[in-house]
Amino acid sequence: MTTAILAITTVLALAAAVFFFLRERKLRAGLVQNEEDAKKREASQAQVIHTTKLASLGQMVAGVAHEINTPLGFVKSNVEVVSDLISEYEAAVTKVMTGVDLLLALDASMVDKAKAAIQKARIELARATTLNEARELLEDSAEGLKQMSGLVMNLKGFARVDRDGMDTIDLNDSIRSALTIAGHQLRDRIHVVQELGEIPKVKCMPSQINQVFLNMITNAAQAMDDDGTLTIRSVAKPNFVEVSFEDTGHGIPDDVLPKIFDPFFTTKPVGEGTGLGLSIVHKIIQGHGGAIRVKSQAGKGTTFFVELPVAQKPAAKAA
Amino acid sequence: MDDIFQDKPLRLLCIDDEARITRALKALFRDCQVELCNDPRQAVAMTANFDPDVVICDQRMPQMQGIDVLRELKTSSPRTMRILLTGYADLKAVLGSVNEGEVYRYVNKPWDNADLRILVFEAARIAREAPVITVDPISEQEAAEARGQVGILVLEDDPVTQQRLREILQAHYQVRFANNAERALQILEQHETGVVISETETSAGDLTGLLKALKQHHPHIATVVITERANAQLAMELINEGQVYRMLIKPVRMGSCRLSVDAAIGRYWKLKRNPRAIQRFALGAAAAATQTGPQVQDSLLARIRNLPSRIVQLVRFGS
Repeated sequence: MTTAILAITTVLALAAAVFFFLRERKLRAGLVQNEEDAKKREASQAQVIHTTKLASLGQMVAGVAHEINTPLGFVKSNVEVVSDLISEYEAAVTKVMTGVDLLLALDASMVDKAKAAIQKARIELARATTLNEARELLEDSAEGLKQMSGLVMNLKGFARVDRDGMDTIDLNDSIRSALTIAGHQLRDRIHVVQELGEIPKVKCMPSQINQVFLNMITNAAQAMDDDGTLTIRSVAKPNFVEVSFEDTGHGIPDDVLPKIFDPFFTTKPVGEGTGLGLSIVHKIIQGHGGAIRVKSQAGKGTTFFVELPVAQKPAAKAA
Repeated sequence: MDDIFQDKPLRLLCIDDEARITRALKALFRDCQVELCNDPRQAVAMTANFDPDVVICDQRMPQMQGIDVLRELKTSSPRTMRILLTGYADLKAVLGSVNEGEVYRYVNKPWDNADLRILVFEAARIAREAPVITVDPISEQEAAEARGQVGILVLEDDPVTQQRLREILQAHYQVRFANNAERALQILEQHETGVVISETETSAGDLTGLLKALKQHHPHIATVVITERANAQLAMELINEGQVYRMLIKPVRMGSCRLSVDAAIGRYWKLKRNPRAIQRFALGAAAAATQTGPQVQDSLLARIRNLPSRIVQLVRFGS
């Protein structure tokens, strides 16, 4: 009897041991699996951020090409026309000079005739508006060159080609820069109101924050079919800065709202959106230790609030 | 520059919200009578007093899109030749400019001064010399007569699209189908054809060279391009070097297809009655000189050149 109990106990103990051993192994395996998944996910997210960066680069180039072609158009034309005007003026001066030369070489009998000729050429020269025209064209051209260098500066600042990594910046500059880049999507139809307040500088990754702002502006523009108003506000809050983007577009329905930050979720037609925009925005803001909130009313419009802490925690690391 | 502009200077209306662009154009055309318009909403009223030979209009303006301005001018000032000037070609604008604005040419900023002057003078000569044909549809009686006499050629090797066009057009017109350029030319040689509906390429190769050559030698035939691979660059090229009448994106829709073909047959019929108007739709010397893209084989080109014109008196530009 005792042996029987002993045997049963032993068997039970063994079974329990085997059970716990197996469970432990499964857990370990699961942990390893989770770690690998996390690594893979991180790698693919880095890839996605990179791809989105390239996409916004393409958008930037398209936008700036449009903005730059107008000043380039008139500056290029003006430079050629001014050169022609100078030739025209030269011709008028040469006429007068020829007359003067003739006069100097003449005997008295012909002087009156030569005088009349010179007088005519002299009047023509005085009346010529050539130089004024040329000056106006050059003034326009100087202004055009200023516009173009402004655009290039902006592009450089936006893409941060010469600097990367953390920096302490004024978010209002980022907003203005993103607005210029998105300009060609807005100019024709969307009224932009900027209510940019006095805000402390924020330590962040400027190239990523610029991308976030461009994304917010582009989304707002796409949410408004025809005329609409985009209001951008920046407000200083205790320890953080809040930037909001309010559009008067078609709004986000209640059932869609919880999903908007999910990767690959999109309501745009196939081919128009990858569904990565807002998930990337979310990831970047999280990486900065900030937060993003949304308030929307179907048919009325949507407001996104981006909050960024003034002092960055050193642990924050975004791809 | 040209004798016909000696007594009565070329009249040019420039429309752009950017005053520096219009000033640059005024300087470039300082030997012409130029009016500037920086608010496109005033354009129609201005043409009433000014009666321009040519209008150059920007596409992207905050108050109004260029194609909308040109569509209005098409009815309010039909004599005026329309040129669209644009900083950045987007497909919607290019398609609108051909299908709604019926532009003579599409010019990119920055433009080339010498080319633009040649183009504007050529357009102005046409505006002065070629009579206007109305845009109203032809009468039911005339339409019936046209249907009996004039055929439509479809150049396309995709059976699905062929079938679709057969369904839409067979009941109303004599429609003939060709799978390749060779067969298309046979049909053109044997039958009076008023409208060519064509893809930009078949499995056998590119068709744009053929369409341009056909336009160059037989400008009275209207070309309706149907395409799957819509891109702004190709569309622009087909306007500027092929004077396409309409451009439709696949899949072909019944309504727009019927409207386009009816209008195209109507235009062919009116041109047949009034051949002097043809040069409004012809490729000028400037366009013929700057052909880009694949060229047509010499043997095909010879056959295109020798196609019977079937229009009593073909007035050629400049002769």
